[in-house]
Amino acid sequence: MANPNTRPAIRVRELHKSIATATHTVDILRGIDFDVPQGQFVAIMGASGSGKSTLLGLLAGLDTVTSGSIQLDGEEITGLNEDSLARLRARKLGFVFQSYQLIPTLTAEENVLLPAELAGAAGNAAARARALLDDVGLADRRDHYPVQLSGGEQQRVALARAFMLQPPILMADEPTGNLDSANGAHVLELLLNMNRKEGTTLILVTHDPQVAAHAGRRIQMRDGVIVSDEI
Amino acid sequence: MRFSTALRLAWRDSRNSAAKFAFVILAVAVGVGSLTGVRGFSRAFRSMLLKDARTLMAADLSVRVFELPTPAQEKIFDDFTAQSIDRTWITETVSMLSAPQMSTPLLVAVKAVDPAKYPFYGEVRTAANAGLPSILEGPNIAVSDDLLVRSGLKEGAIVRLGTAEFTIKGVLTYEPDRMAGSVNVGPRVMLTRANLELAGLLREGSRSSQRFLFKFPSGQADAMILTARKQLASAFPDAVIADYRETHPLITRGLNNATTFLSLVSLIALVVGALGVAMAMQSHLQQKLDSIAVMKALGGRSSQILHVYLLQATLLALAGGGIGILLGAGVQKAFPLLIAGFFPIAPNVQFEWISIAEGFGLSLLSTLLFVLPPLLEIRQIKPIVIFRRDMEGVPKPWREWWREQRASLAAALLICLGLAGMAAFLIDANWAVAARVGGWFVGGLIGALLLLAGLSWALLKLLRRLVKLPALKLPALARHGLANLYRPGNRAEAVLVAFSLGVMLTLTIYLLQSSIIGQISASAPPGMPNVFLINITNADRLPVAAFLKSAPGVEGDVAIVATAAGHLKSINNTAQNETNLVGPAKRFLRARTITWSNEMPPQTQIVEGKWWNNPGSAEPQLSVLADAAKALNLKPGTLTEWEVSGRKVYARVAAIHRNESVRPGSNTEFVFSPGALDSVPVLYFGAIRARPALISQLQKASFEKFPAITVINLADVLVRVQEVIDQVALVVRFISAFAILAGMIILASSIAGSRLRRVREVVILKTLGATRAKVAAIFSVEFLLLGLVSGVMGSVLAVAFTNVLLTRLLDAQFQFDWAPNGIAIFGSALIAMFAGWMASYRILDQKPLEVLRDE
Repeated sequence: MANPNTRPAIRVRELHKSIATATHTVDILRGIDFDVPQGQFVAIMGASGSGKSTLLGLLAGLDTVTSGSIQLDGEEITGLNEDSLARLRARKLGFVFQSYQLIPTLTAEENVLLPAELAGAAGNAAARARALLDDVGLADRRDHYPVQLSGGEQQRVALARAFMLQPPILMADEPTGNLDSANGAHVLELLLNMNRKEGTTLILVTHDPQVAAHAGRRIQMRDGVIVSDEI
Repeated sequence: MRFSTALRLAWRDSRNSAAKFAFVILAVAVGVGSLTGVRGFSRAFRSMLLKDARTLMAADLSVRVFELPTPAQEKIFDDFTAQSIDRTWITETVSMLSAPQMSTPLLVAVKAVDPAKYPFYGEVRTAANAGLPSILEGPNIAVSDDLLVRSGLKEGAIVRLGTAEFTIKGVLTYEPDRMAGSVNVGPRVMLTRANLELAGLLREGSRSSQRFLFKFPSGQADAMILTARKQLASAFPDAVIADYRETHPLITRGLNNATTFLSLVSLIALVVGALGVAMAMQSHLQQKLDSIAVMKALGGRSSQILHVYLLQATLLALAGGGIGILLGAGVQKAFPLLIAGFFPIAPNVQFEWISIAEGFGLSLLSTLLFVLPPLLEIRQIKPIVIFRRDMEGVPKPWREWWREQRASLAAALLICLGLAGMAAFLIDANWAVAARVGGWFVGGLIGALLLLAGLSWALLKLLRRLVKLPALKLPALARHGLANLYRPGNRAEAVLVAFSLGVMLTLTIYLLQSSIIGQISASAPPGMPNVFLINITNADRLPVAAFLKSAPGVEGDVAIVATAAGHLKSINNTAQNETNLVGPAKRFLRARTITWSNEMPPQTQIVEGKWWNNPGSAEPQLSVLADAAKALNLKPGTLTEWEVSGRKVYARVAAIHRNESVRPGSNTEFVFSPGALDSVPVLYFGAIRARPALISQLQKASFEKFPAITVINLADVLVRVQEVIDQVALVVRFISAFAILAGMIILASSIAGSRLRRVREVVILKTLGATRAKVAAIFSVEFLLLGLVSGVMGSVLAVAFTNVLLTRLLDAQFQFDWAPNGIAIFGSALIAMFAGWMASYRILDQKPLEVLRDE
């Protein structure tokens, strides 16, 4: 649970999310409450359709909530507009997606560099991008385009990109979901190492208990509610 | 975001889209190229006209009229002579030229000059470099080289012109005042006035053109010109007067009209190009949907991403503009070649700043206006689509729709205003006219687009209904293909609009071309004349009619119609001038064509009063066409006073008539009773229909019997008309090709946009046992249907449009022809199929497991 002496990295209260379809309304999240202290590694688990990816999207400000509150680093994000959310993501969040989501027209290095360019961060961004690619073992692949990389390599580029701006919070959505077990293990190891090195708060969505076993805390979801929260 | 970063991101984004962006650049370049080319040429031409005004007119001042001067007008000439203003007289007319070696007499433009004085400025050049006075001395004439080519004659040949024989002594290579001349039909013949009279070509009442050139005493032109011009203007109210301080009004008017027409045609090219650009951009952004969502998830703001793509569009527009300006220079260079037959001098290609600025300005404005709507959509892309793509296509409450679409609607309004502004800018007229043309241009464009959009919507609805009919048992493949048209995100309507617009433009031009030329030359409606005889005198009238009635090949009636030029001077003794003739009625201040007839012309209806039954009536009578009567407020009983060739004619209005006939001469506004025009010189023209194969025989026989009468074979004139129509058609077809190309891009982009769904469907179908051929058949049905429906819509509209243009504007009849319509419909089906498969053939190779594992 949250350490009362430090501000939680994430605070969620009474979070609801519904989506209107042409015929009816679907309640995806039905009242979620939890705090994540700084530096904690939390695994959010649940079956397909339990609402875990939607929760992650809302935490990252990628979508608007129906009701409730989300605070990142003490800052309420639910009332923010698109651009303020984008600024906040640039400052505070790193993201790793299940299907890598690299930009196909950019090389590996350009993909890693992109968050710095969007944030207007000058200086030694290129050097850091190269160092990060080196960290994930892809120094010699930096001029390759995503289609020229294997799935595991693409996800390692995505990891380097996520750490580019040294975000205090990292969110990962099934980061090993599309990879075979060897590649999956490699990516997970890299993710955990980099997380330790950078001291990041890590929220990881997975349905794989082996992956979740590495986490310091496991939140289990079902039908849009938290059914267990264990450390 | 820094500019350099945005530039870098824009560049990186463009790297992998070279082919698409090459099209964008080409589309902009073609539009800009034709616009800057046309306008640059026009400007260069205008400045040349001004610079060389004296040479191009061969004088300081020129007056052109269609009648010989009256004694009062002659007096002004005498006054000028007293002030040492030199004068020379040029007469231009058309006639027939023949020689024993020639099978058929040739229609020629005849120009009579005084070689001792003409030209005051510039020089007449001949092939042998001989002086004009020495060539034209004696029974000799000079001819243009095309006369020798067309007749097969050589210098030194003896030819017959009118009633006299002459020797061809010189070949004209350059006449300074060629552009200011009024007769541009057929090869040219130059001779002295004495020889013109010898040929008997000048007859009283003849509508030949008279040009009087003046040269002021050296150094005094500036001081004298204003007064002289004023005097001439009041003495010759119908004349075209030009002086060296301005561009020649006749040439400028033609130039302005041509520039305006070609500018608007080019603007359509630019608009269609810009539409293609917008579609290419939309397809580009559609493919970048995920990338943009990822950029947003990584902290990119909408404004930053918009900035990147706006910069990209700007750079593409500038590249297109730059290449367009170079193309424009090429067009400027090519123009003089196209018009070499009419204008002897070619202006220099000018690389003016204004042309360059105009080119870049128009390319930027058109591109940015059209890419605005797709760019604005960037703001709607939510980063969450990375997680939840299946929520697209859900209908939104109208309030939300309005909030999201507000900016796009504003952009649409901006596009309309921008286009109207561009069209208005391209018109060389005052702001009111320019604004009206701009409004019409945009209104027409929007109207056409709305009509097509409405039709597409209705046709798609109809197809959907048909598929659902239980009685209609379609094969499964066809049903799937049809259902693809309604797939969410499938922009079938947009594809149909662009495609059918292209088909409509192309087919309309083809149908117009083939209808006009085909109908008039070969299969003119029964009874319509195809041979005209001009310059028939009163004395020749009955012999010519008798000759034509027995001449070989003549079919049906022989119509000999009187024609003279009359000025309406007063109505019920009230003088007609600029105070009581205003608006459209102002045209009655100028000379009007008048005629006389005993019988009522065919297809005439009397609206008021009655036709004269008593030809011997003492008082001359007049029947007036209803439109003219309304404009002049003429009623039966009104007394009119006319001046014809300086002589007064009085006639009382007996009838007001209406005429539906398209036969020449039948729609003359003022028809006098027999005898009314006896005191004035009247010429006649004959209109007959002759079997095409026997026309040259008829021309020859007529020339032998009536050498001063000119016989014009409509087919010869049509060759020239065809040349002009072909040129215009080529330009418009080129533009239509762009509309079709835009349709292909929209289809391809629509397929690219729905690629993800198609891939899923393909793999599911394959997993369920569908072969590649079956999947291909489903897609083919979809593309073929799109093409067929576009073809049908385009063809229906083209037929309707051609019908309206032919019957309402061109007085021709429309005959439906299956062949071109069938070709258009099946052609567009094939083009759609090609575009569709180009965009989706890779989908077929998708391995099911790869995709299903990704789910």
